[in-house]
Amino acid sequence: MKRLFFILTIFVSVVAFGTMAFATTKANTGCGLGTTIWEGSDALLFQLCASSTNGISGNQTFGITSGTLGCEDFKGIVSNEKIQLFIANNMDSLANDISEGNGEYLNTLAVLMEVKEENRTEFYGKMQSNFSNIFTSNNVTSTQVAGNIDAIMN
Amino acid sequence: MKESFKRYGFIYKSVSLFLYIILFSSLYFTLDPATNIWGEEVSYISTLVRSANKRELYKDKYWHTLLHYKHGLLGLRSLIDDPAFFLAKDGKYNPKSELEATLRSFFDPVSDESTPTVCRFIARYSWLKEKLDIDESMLPTLKCEEFKKVIETVKPKSATLIFPASYMNSPASMFGHTLLTIETENNSKLLSHAVNYSAYTGESFGPFFAIKGIFGLYRGYFSVLPYYEKVQEYNNVNQRDIWEYRLNLTEDEVVRLIMHLYELEDIYSRYFFFDENCSYCLLFLLDAARPSLNLTDNISPWIAPVETIRDVMESELIVETIYRPSKATKIRHIASLLSNKNKKLALSIIDQEVEPKIIFKQDISIEEKINICDLAKEHLQYQYAKKKIEKEEYTDLFLNMMNIRSKLGRPNKDRYKVPVPSQPLHGHKSNRFCIGGGIRDEEFFQEIKWRAAYHDLLAPDTGYLPGSQIQFCNVVLRYLYDEKKVRLEKLDFVDIISITAINKFFKPLSWKVNTGLSQKEMRDEDEHLVYHINGGAGYALENRYIGIFYAMMEADLNFGRSLEKKSAIGLGGTIGILNNITGFWKVYLYVRDIYYGLGDKHNELEIALQQNFKITINNSIGFEVLRRMAFDSHQDEGKLYWNIFY
Repeated sequence: MKRLFFILTIFVSVVAFGTMAFATTKANTGCGLGTTIWEGSDALLFQLCASSTNGISGNQTFGITSGTLGCEDFKGIVSNEKIQLFIANNMDSLANDISEGNGEYLNTLAVLMEVKEENRTEFYGKMQSNFSNIFTSNNVTSTQVAGNIDAIMN
Repeated sequence: MKESFKRYGFIYKSVSLFLYIILFSSLYFTLDPATNIWGEEVSYISTLVRSANKRELYKDKYWHTLLHYKHGLLGLRSLIDDPAFFLAKDGKYNPKSELEATLRSFFDPVSDESTPTVCRFIARYSWLKEKLDIDESMLPTLKCEEFKKVIETVKPKSATLIFPASYMNSPASMFGHTLLTIETENNSKLLSHAVNYSAYTGESFGPFFAIKGIFGLYRGYFSVLPYYEKVQEYNNVNQRDIWEYRLNLTEDEVVRLIMHLYELEDIYSRYFFFDENCSYCLLFLLDAARPSLNLTDNISPWIAPVETIRDVMESELIVETIYRPSKATKIRHIASLLSNKNKKLALSIIDQEVEPKIIFKQDISIEEKINICDLAKEHLQYQYAKKKIEKEEYTDLFLNMMNIRSKLGRPNKDRYKVPVPSQPLHGHKSNRFCIGGGIRDEEFFQEIKWRAAYHDLLAPDTGYLPGSQIQFCNVVLRYLYDEKKVRLEKLDFVDIISITAINKFFKPLSWKVNTGLSQKEMRDEDEHLVYHINGGAGYALENRYIGIFYAMMEADLNFGRSLEKKSAIGLGGTIGILNNITGFWKVYLYVRDIYYGLGDKHNELEIALQQNFKITINNSIGFEVLRRMAFDSHQDEGKLYWNIFY
């Protein structure tokens, strides 16, 4: 009886822990706004260090990335693979920053586009005032965004 | 070469036939012009091996760091389980043979298919080269193109330890995660490389996930992702604030870190949730970066991420702490800047009750318009991340709001300075020991309590989620003066409470789960140990004067021999008020009533008032009075105790 009791206790505890432990997974469904979203429920109780399947492609460490999430490549100033990947991966946050003419994502874009420190304020203002020319519709793709930014900078 | 001949001469004189044969063959090759190089190599390798053994390099702390050797119950072994990590057959258990095999492998002929070990195990090589002054002209290759490419891509400058704090409504996520970022020369934090160690699970069924994790059935791997992906995951989706601890590692040390990380590429260790977890394994990288560190020495059965950060801080590695608020925190902050009227306007825009354009027509300052816009945008993103609105709806409204916002100009960029909350590092420690005593129905008792982890409702909130409780393995022993005996009063395996107030923007559920053993007075007017499983959920409200007020419905399952039919299953609820009256004084009052309608039918009502006075962050005095009514009788109890966190 005692042993059964013990086993039951352990079992119940483990199940109680376990049912609420959950990892999130990422599903990338395109190159536009609202596409980088994470599937799966939040870990209500436990995460236990095991953020597991989320976006880790294989077990690569410094695998050099290639391709922009299946989005088309754009040739121009912002043709740089890193920039395209950054835009594709951070569409919503970047759009948000551009609409405010400020913020870390916009700053990072400036860094990637090698905009000089002294020209940043001007760059930010230009981006903001051209918001509607960059994010032209709610199904604009990251490739189009890159192209629009490119057109504004020229 | 002269040196090695001398040594060979020495061996020749002194040792066995076996070595004699080796010597002979090596002499033979040195004499043959065609195989001259090979012969030199063999003797040079032997020299190196002997010199390494003589200096007992295999006992060197750094060698043990690089190979992850640790003493366990069954002696020394490496915590790495992947055979590909070892060059000697018994490498996992034998540092000496592994070192010898490593040295020898440096001289293996180079083939196109495999990376030469000089490159594959570049951290080992560079350490051994430094220790033994390896003559590089003797090596078949030194070209580590792939590693060079890594360094060129990463351009490492500095490193930061990252700690995502708790989820808004999940105290246990404190156990969460730690990761490292490696900053690159362009100085943009989002572009830095996030180094993670995590279990490679692919499992989503909770119980299997837990069991496999506890017993080490998953493989843990290191991975590197752009930090912005992690920020998105933690800040924007999970709504966790992030703490960034910038480390004082030099550029050379960061390169060493990457060297070791490179060695660990595609290498697995069995992953254990409790000890060999993400936080612990990450420490090997720091120990490898700076040989004088001993961070991995602290292997306890339970390694909580926040404790590893404390160790890192105590090793004087942290130079700066940066706080990165989550979306939810930002929303709360922006909302706090708005008047009630403007909050309502923001909400009606989010709920699509009014056209966003209405903002332009409001008779309010431009600053206020901006705040409304920003609040609406952030909240839309929050709702979308939580899957509360459809994509189409979200992108439409979000774009609309951004268009409006882009016409309102650029005010001061530091306008949303979210107040930095108290740091997890400054919270009380996780283990708790209590000593105290009290009186129960005219009988005196003494108690000692011990708890493995972590925090309770009455402990100081500094660094913890207010309104949270998470207790593991809380043991209470009671000595009864009258009966002159010690008994187990209580044993909580798990006891978690999360009380989060609802407001206009967030409607989180408050909830609790606990399971364990406790003494209860039964029908026979005697106390017996009962096993319980209890869970409940409800809502909480917060008021500046009364504190947090909550009400929860709950279910309670009791099992015990002393119960009729061995069990009692009941439903009921709890209401409670928790108030942090001053920084050092907390009061908690609750009333709980459960009617057990199945099994041993009875009603149980409990009323308690608990208070806690903080003396120092790790010391406090608790005071508690309680009345419990069940089975037509009641018991009163009062106790006083001293809590020590360590």
